[in-house]
Order: sequence, then C-alpha cells, then structure tokens
Amino acid sequence: MIAIRDVSVSFGGVLALNNLTVNLADSVVGIIGPNGAGKTTLLNVFSGFVTPACGSIRAFDTDLLAMRPHQRARWGLRRSFQTEQVVDDLSVADNVRAMLDSLPVTSRSERERQIEKALTYVQLEGKADELGSALNTYQRRMVELAKTLVGSPRIVLLDEPGAGLREEEVDALRQTILGIGEQFGAMTLLIDHDVEMIAATCISTVVLDFGELLAFGPTAEILKDDRVKAAYLGIEEAE
Amino acid sequence: MTEEKIAVTSESTALPRKSFATFPVTRPTLALLLSVAALILIVPPLLDALYLRVFISSVIFTIAATGIAVLYARLGLVSLAQVALVGVGGWVTLRMWHATGLPFEVNMLTGAMISGVVGMLIGLPALRMRGLFLALITLMGAAGFQILVTGTQFPNGGEGVLGIAVTSIFMPRPVLGESDEAMLRYVCVVAVLCVLFVELNRRTRPGRAWALIRKSEACAMASGVNVAFYKAWGFALAGFIAGIAGALLAATLGVLDATTFPASESILLFALTVVGGAYNWLGLVLTGLLFRAAPALLNDIGVNGHLAYVIFGAGLLHALITAPTGIAGQILEGLKQLTKRRVGR
Ligand SMILES: Nc1ncnc2c1ncn2[C@@H]1O[C@H](COP(=O)(O)OP(=O)(O)OP(=O)(O)O)[C@@H](O)[C@H]1O
Ligand SMILES: [Mg+2]
Repeated sequence: MIAIRDVSVSFGGVLALNNLTVNLADSVVGIIGPNGAGKTTLLNVFSGFVTPACGSIRAFDTDLLAMRPHQRARWGLRRSFQTEQVVDDLSVADNVRAMLDSLPVTSRSERERQIEKALTYVQLEGKADELGSALNTYQRRMVELAKTLVGSPRIVLLDEPGAGLREEEVDALRQTILGIGEQFGAMTLLIDHDVEMIAATCISTVVLDFGELLAFGPTAEILKDDRVKAAYLGIEEAE
Repeated sequence: MTEEKIAVTSESTALPRKSFATFPVTRPTLALLLSVAALILIVPPLLDALYLRVFISSVIFTIAATGIAVLYARLGLVSLAQVALVGVGGWVTLRMWHATGLPFEVNMLTGAMISGVVGMLIGLPALRMRGLFLALITLMGAAGFQILVTGTQFPNGGEGVLGIAVTSIFMPRPVLGESDEAMLRYVCVVAVLCVLFVELNRRTRPGRAWALIRKSEACAMASGVNVAFYKAWGFALAGFIAGIAGALLAATLGVLDATTFPASESILLFALTVVGGAYNWLGLVLTGLLFRAAPALLNDIGVNGHLAYVIFGAGLLHALITAPTGIAGQILEGLKQLTKRRVGR
C-alpha cells in the first residue's frame, strides 16, 4: 500500500508533477502518459533524487521521503533506470552483489543463494561470471531486473524496462514482471509506453499528463477511457 | 603430507571459484609480473649508485601514483594533492622517529594513517563537487602544504613540535634496506604490497561501490551505496598510500627538503599517471619512471632535463586524445592482439 499525497515538483517553470494524490495497492501498478508527463520524475521522488516542493509518500506505513536515498534502498525500495545502469567492468554476479553489499543480509551463503535465485529467475544463471560489457541489450535489462530482486525488495520501480527490446524479448520480460510479486514478495510499479505490456501485467494504472493525474483505476477501464485515449493513445497513433 | 595438500587445494578451488573466475590473471599480466620480478633480482647489482637512487625514487612515486589511480580510475575523481600528501607522510614519519626511535615500519604506518586522514579532509569537498572545482580544491590543499612546509621545514632532530635543528640528524634506513640495493628491493616489495592492497579493495565491497558511483551516483544510491562514505574511503586510501611513499622517501634520504613538495609536482604526477595509464599497475610503473628516471636519463645523455616537460606535455595530449588508458593500456592491448593473432594462425 502506497499513499502519495499532494506531491508537487517543478523544474524552473515546468510543473513536472502537480499536486499528485493517489493510493496504490495492487501487486503490479502501471504508470503511463505521453513523453514528459512526469513519470520518471515520480520515480525520482520515490528514490530521493528529486525533492518535491510539497507532499508526502507513505509506503507500508513508512514515511519514504524522510529517508536518505541509500537508506530507502536498504529499506526495500528498488529501481531500474530508463537508461540501464549495468556496470561494464563488473561481472554479472558482481553487478547484483553490489546491491546486496549494503543490505543487512548477514551470511555469505545467503547472499550467494539470493544472487543465484535472482539470476536464475531472469534466466541468466549461466552468465554469472561474464563481464557486463559482454551482454546484449536484453541481458543488460535482465541484470538490472535481477539487481532489484535481491535482499527482500518491498517496492520495485521499473522505468521502461522494455525499451529497445525485440518482440519475443518483450514477451519474456512480461512473464518475468508478472512473477515478481509471487516469487519475491514485492509490489511493482511499471512505467512503459507499450500499452499491450501494461494491459497484460498491470492490475491498475495511473495516467499522467503534464504532471497531472489524468486517470486512475483498473487497467482495462483506464485503457478504454476517452480522455486517456485522447491524451495518450491518440498521440501514439499519430506518431 | 601430500594428502593434506590435495585436500586443501580441492577445497579452495571449490569454494571461491566464482570470485577467481571473475578476475582471471591473463597471460600477458603474468608474463609482465614475472619479468618485473626478474628485473628486481637482476638489475640492482648492475646499476651505478646514481641510477640505483633514481630507481628507488621512481618506485616510490609509482606507489604515490597508485593512490592517484584509485581516485582517477575507480571513481573518476581528479586529485592534485598527492605529492603534498607524500610530504605529509614523510613529515609524520620523521617526526615520529625523532620523537620515539620506534622501528621504521611503525613510523611509516603512522605517517600513512595520518596522511590518509589529511587526504580524506582534502577530499571532503568531493562529496559535493566534481571535475574542475574538485581539482582546484585539492590543488589549494597542495599549495597550503607547500606554504606550511616551506615556512617550517621538515623535522630533523631538533626540539619542540616542529623538531628543527641547525645540523640535521639523519633518520636511519629500515633494517632490511640499509644499502641502496637492499633499499631498492625494499621499496619494490612495499610497492607490490600497496598494489595488492588496492586490488583487494577493488575486488571487494569498496570496489563494487566505486564502480557503481563511477557509472552514476543515482545508480549507486539506488543500490543502497552510501556515496559520501565510499568517496571518502577512496580519498583516505589514496592518502594512506601517499603517506607510505613519503615514509619511504624519508627513509631513503634520511632527511626531507621542502623544495621536493611544491604543488606543481602534484600536478605533474597526476598528468603522468594519465600518460602512463591509471588502469593497471604497469601504467603506474611507467608513471614512476617518467616522473623520476626520464629526467635523469635526459640529463645523462646531455639533454636539458627540463625538455622532459615538453615531452610530458606531448604525451599528455596524446593520452587525452587517443589513449585514455595511457601507454600501459596501449601496450597491453598490443600484447592481446599479438596473442590473438598467434592463436588464430
Ligand atoms: N532534472 C530535471 N531538470 C529540469 N527539468 C526536468 C528534469 N527532469 C525532468 N524534467 C522535466 O520535467 C518534465 C517531466 O519529465 P519526466 O522525465 O518525468 O517525463 P517522463 O514522463 O518520464 O517522459 P518520458 O516518457 O520521455 O521518459 C519534462 O518536461 C522534463 O523536461
Ligand atoms: Mg521517463
């Protein structure tokens, strides 16, 4: 359960988020909206990279904004980035291990078990010792995903994980996202421009437009909403 | 006896298999390591007194450059205070010996630790700044040290906190490095230990944190890395290693002089670290040689040693434009190409 209250962010004259208030409770929640709608900005507020002018975010009865960014990660907040952040000169396992380093997972064997579980889950178990630089786009996205899944995640934020992937890869990604709740016990917030992806994975969906909450509700209804079509899907068709 | 050995080996290969596989010792690296080891054994007796000293100080500045490389190659940070920190380590080591007469190694570690703390303090602005502004702050630190030490000089056995006497008392060499030959071997061993210590950091938690910070601070924070802490750790480690170099320099010469540690030397050593190559130990060896042996060599063949600066300038341009991993990077890349071609045939 995440309660976002009156969150506003402005960059100079641009209102990136305008008094956003919404309660998120489903296991996978979509965030959609046209380019520049404020989707990444919302994730940045979660992560602590952007401090909102006002407002609060409570997640599982914790005041998220009161913690410093790295403490949020330790608390259980995880995220992937719109441009993936796999480190080229670390091995796949070390990329994931770096996430566990600062978490209170005590025993070495438990760490290794979690790394193995996450890598197996994203089907990279054979690549553990390869360098990040040896991976293709899909594998890099999967390493980033695996990173979000170790160390008891509570909230996983995914910023366009499907960008630049081929169709069959997107299918695999879809299955991977759907299993996160059951396998790792985390709630997922998913930003994506791919409406099919959102429809297939998200139980409810938030629609942002110029920093405003345009609509929120069950995904199927949201995607039928005329205002949403006009603001978002219409633009997609026009492109 | 044999059984025991086998048991130990099979266990050690079974357990940390992953971490070893992650960092393979490549054949070129191994070959180079062996040849350097051979050089250390063979070369010292062949050198004349002058070159023995030149090589000792080359190795000492290789050690100092190792610290620069931690910040530059691992964190992408520029520190222009390293030679000043060498001076801090030297100052503390001399002060310690004159005050306590403890064995050199104890004084060296004390000097290194204090130099590490000073390095961390100079690096504190790095938690907020980067690039040019950070470089300028560290340069101001170096200039500050230059002014202080020119005013007070290094301790040489006198009274009081500053310990200045009219006639210098020389600090003796460490027991294992009394002759110049022995001292050369001594500094080489310490250099290897320093490189290994940095390598240990790189392959464990700090190294992973540094890699994430270099990728992007957002990525590091999202991974739970305390960015400020691990940057400070990098500065402390670089300062610690500078302090070791300072202690060795003090031991080699017995006394230190303020004119050895102007801020300009810090800039030069940084530039040469980029030219030599900050990304592996071979580059650091080259850095030490360029910094101390190249000017001596030029003098020897009758060329004004200051010409070295012109050559260094050209080298720096070359490195910045075409060889971001320095001369060492180019050599290792060439070796790799060679072995590949041979395998291909
Ligand atoms: N750090 C920043 N500085 C200034 N303006 C910013 C910054 N970050 C975002 N913005 C602006 O805020 C608005 C929202 O940006 P945001 O990145 O959140 O959009 P988005 O919904 O993620 O878009 P996209 O689909 O293109 O990723 C845009 O107008 C953007 O230019
Ligand atoms: Mg975005």
